[in-house]
Amino acid sequence: MRNVITYVIAFLFILTLNFLLPRMLPGDPLMAIYGNEALIAMTPELKAHLVERFALDQPLWQQFGAYLLALVQGDLGHSYYYNSPVSSIVLGRLPWTLLLVGTALIISTLSGIVLGIESGWRRGSRRDKSLLTSLMAVSGFPDFFLGILLLIGFSVTWKIFPLSGAITPYSGLSGAALVLDVLHHLFLPATALTLSYIGASYLLTRNTMVTVLKNPYILMAKAKGLPDRVVRYQHAGRNALLPVITQTGIQLGRMVTGALFVEIVFAYPGLGYLTYEALLARDYPVLQGVLLIVAVSVLIANFLVDLSYSKLDPRIRYAH
Amino acid sequence: MLKLEALEVSYGEKKILNGIDLELKDGESLAVIGESGAGKTTLALSLMRLVDGSVKGKILFNGLDLLSLPEEAINELRGNRIAWAPQNSNNTLNPVHTILNQVAESITEHKLKNRREAGKQASILLSSFGIPVNRFSAYPHQLSGGEQQRVLLAIASANQPELLILDEPISSLDAPARAEVIELLKHTNQDCSFIVTTHDISTAAKLADKVAILYAGRIVELGLSGEVLSRPRHPYTRGLIRCYPDMTTGKDLQGIKGVMDRSVNGCSFHPRCTQAIEICRKEIPPLRLIQGRHIACHRGGIIPLLSTKNLSKRFDSLLAVDAVKITIEGGETLALVGESGSGKTTLAKLIMGLIEPTEGEIYLEDSLVSNRGKDFYRQVQMIFQNPGESLSHRLSVLELVRESLDIQEIGARDERDRLVRQVLREVELPDSEAFLNEYPHHLSAGEMQRVTIARALVLEPRLLIADEPVAFLDSSLQAKILKLLLKLQEQRGLSLLFITHDIAVARKISDRIAVMKDGKIVEQGPATKIITSPGHAYTRKLSQAALDLSLED
Ligand code: SF4
Repeated sequence: MRNVITYVIAFLFILTLNFLLPRMLPGDPLMAIYGNEALIAMTPELKAHLVERFALDQPLWQQFGAYLLALVQGDLGHSYYYNSPVSSIVLGRLPWTLLLVGTALIISTLSGIVLGIESGWRRGSRRDKSLLTSLMAVSGFPDFFLGILLLIGFSVTWKIFPLSGAITPYSGLSGAALVLDVLHHLFLPATALTLSYIGASYLLTRNTMVTVLKNPYILMAKAKGLPDRVVRYQHAGRNALLPVITQTGIQLGRMVTGALFVEIVFAYPGLGYLTYEALLARDYPVLQGVLLIVAVSVLIANFLVDLSYSKLDPRIRYAH
Repeated sequence: MLKLEALEVSYGEKKILNGIDLELKDGESLAVIGESGAGKTTLALSLMRLVDGSVKGKILFNGLDLLSLPEEAINELRGNRIAWAPQNSNNTLNPVHTILNQVAESITEHKLKNRREAGKQASILLSSFGIPVNRFSAYPHQLSGGEQQRVLLAIASANQPELLILDEPISSLDAPARAEVIELLKHTNQDCSFIVTTHDISTAAKLADKVAILYAGRIVELGLSGEVLSRPRHPYTRGLIRCYPDMTTGKDLQGIKGVMDRSVNGCSFHPRCTQAIEICRKEIPPLRLIQGRHIACHRGGIIPLLSTKNLSKRFDSLLAVDAVKITIEGGETLALVGESGSGKTTLAKLIMGLIEPTEGEIYLEDSLVSNRGKDFYRQVQMIFQNPGESLSHRLSVLELVRESLDIQEIGARDERDRLVRQVLREVELPDSEAFLNEYPHHLSAGEMQRVTIARALVLEPRLLIADEPVAFLDSSLQAKILKLLLKLQEQRGLSLLFITHDIAVARKISDRIAVMKDGKIVEQGPATKIITSPGHAYTRKLSQAALDLSLED
């Protein structure tokens, strides 16, 4: 319950920030809210309409009310660059980012955990050492740099993967062929993200394993005559998982930022690429919309991680 | 079924177990007793082949050499034919699995039953160990420490092992629960052999047929538990039993002097042993069968320090001491209990040579005492009933305490003075110049008694005979002087012959009690036994009298 309250507070904070930031900028608030593009289309009628729409002639708290009201109605503003509502632009791009980040998050966390368990089980063994060095080396590179390397290697030189985009345009594919096409485009950006984030969950799992293995229940599990695999995963791994899950929640925010860059490298039509386009066009409404949606998604994802954490650790589930 | 041969376990340079030989037959149970750090847990784990250190020697389990089995084969045995239950501590049970699963897992992973049947079997086990049904799907942290311990025992019993190793299994339970769990263990695992490691002597006595006493990684005494615990023969075993808080004797907690040190040469116990001789410092005593008991001691175990045979004294028509046979062992307290006129003091005087026996002999460490020279009095000293009478009023404290040193011609003058000061501090008296020059009649009764104790101790005797040393003191002083005597005994490994009419006092301080009536010893034995089940009507009468007195207070 207390958790939920924390999330509500965080959510309100994000809303307020999103509302206040453009209005704090010096100069014409309309200009700040609507960007360059709007000025070109600006007529006195439109201006009057906008001032009324944002209650710009009213005190700040009434402006806030108007802002919230618009939000509730799903109105994130209007992009004059794309000449369509911001909400539909952002929502159109969101699935691609979700696909990219989701894939990378799941794969990097799962493989990080499995490799971490294997590595920590026999710390100091040859396998542990080679895993440690190679994973540390890979995740030392920034994600976009890995992206560029992959792009040059696999798309430019060997031409195995497409250079950009999320699907082949105008191909008219459907069904399984479409899925394959999507995966084909997804592969390189997802790999770049996965590789640069796998190190964190791997390292944490490995270190947690080392302390978990010192627990008496590990000795107990061995004394029960359980097979090695069972001791390693059911008993040690299961306990080593807990801090990694927490970290994944924290990781998520960073990964979303990472995805923005990777999307730019691969011209992947997600929110990152949208941000890039909006920045170039000074399309403020879109930027704000992205900011809001990203912040809220990260918040929701964190909440889900919290929930799953308490599922995994009975000591938290039954704490009360 | 189980045989250990020259088992040796070491972690790096450090040897934890050394030359352990043991044998266990089908259905037999053995308790391994020792203080913490003696190597009990290492022994238990090495039987599971779960120690990290290097293991040498042989462990034969039904003909299988456990140390040379491949890992899969030993894993087959673990938790199945040989099971282990550790002492419950934080996180002995896995916090993220339900207790039912943790029991059932032992069964399913050995492929003995399918999931459903294993679950059923686990439920039966848990309820027989007293876990309520609604707790089966609980997680460990939802259970009390006692319940967790029961779960551990249920896990160990899951596959009806042939050998069950219990490592401090029930110390975390309270006394009534202990008794119950012991019964349960015996019942659930019929025909199973047990090895129990514990520092709790009463658990050992209840659970095991045999006991092995472990000291610094070696077995020092091995025998039937009833015999070893009621009549220990290795000096360490006696010390261990002595410091065990046992409600039945009420003897004050008293340890063994010093601490365990693994690095000494020779017998590892020698720095703490009251009867160590030259060879003890050089050679490690092997575990040998000596008169029906396995003992590792160069001197064959506890030796009698002083014994009397057929000792009698006749005053005209009165037979004051009648064919008395007593033995005082090194480092022990023997209480001689009897009413006034029973001949206790006469016996003491006979031993001290203050009067001549009519008949019988006295032996000091196996040699007959004929004429007592200085040598005898260096080893045997006595303190008397009334300190006021036994201290000469013309001598100062310094002169009084130094007197025996002067007689024995020990050390130079200032060496003697130093010894006097030291012994005064030991008996908790000031060693100031002023006090040294004090005369006895200026001292309080308590101080006077301490001076007489100092006088006796300054020669560092091995046996101190104390004749009603507290009878003249009020009860708070009594307690203090008794404590002092016990402390000195522990520090110096002194033997004490404590003469008293009060069986309540005797029970507080003695290892053994001899009851004397009309010049005869009518009963003697371990203090516990004499107090809880007196064999002679007279002893019962004395106990009853002491009880009545204490009720009047
Ligand atoms: S007498 Fe010697 S061998 Fe025996 S216990 Fe004492 S020190 Fe060890």
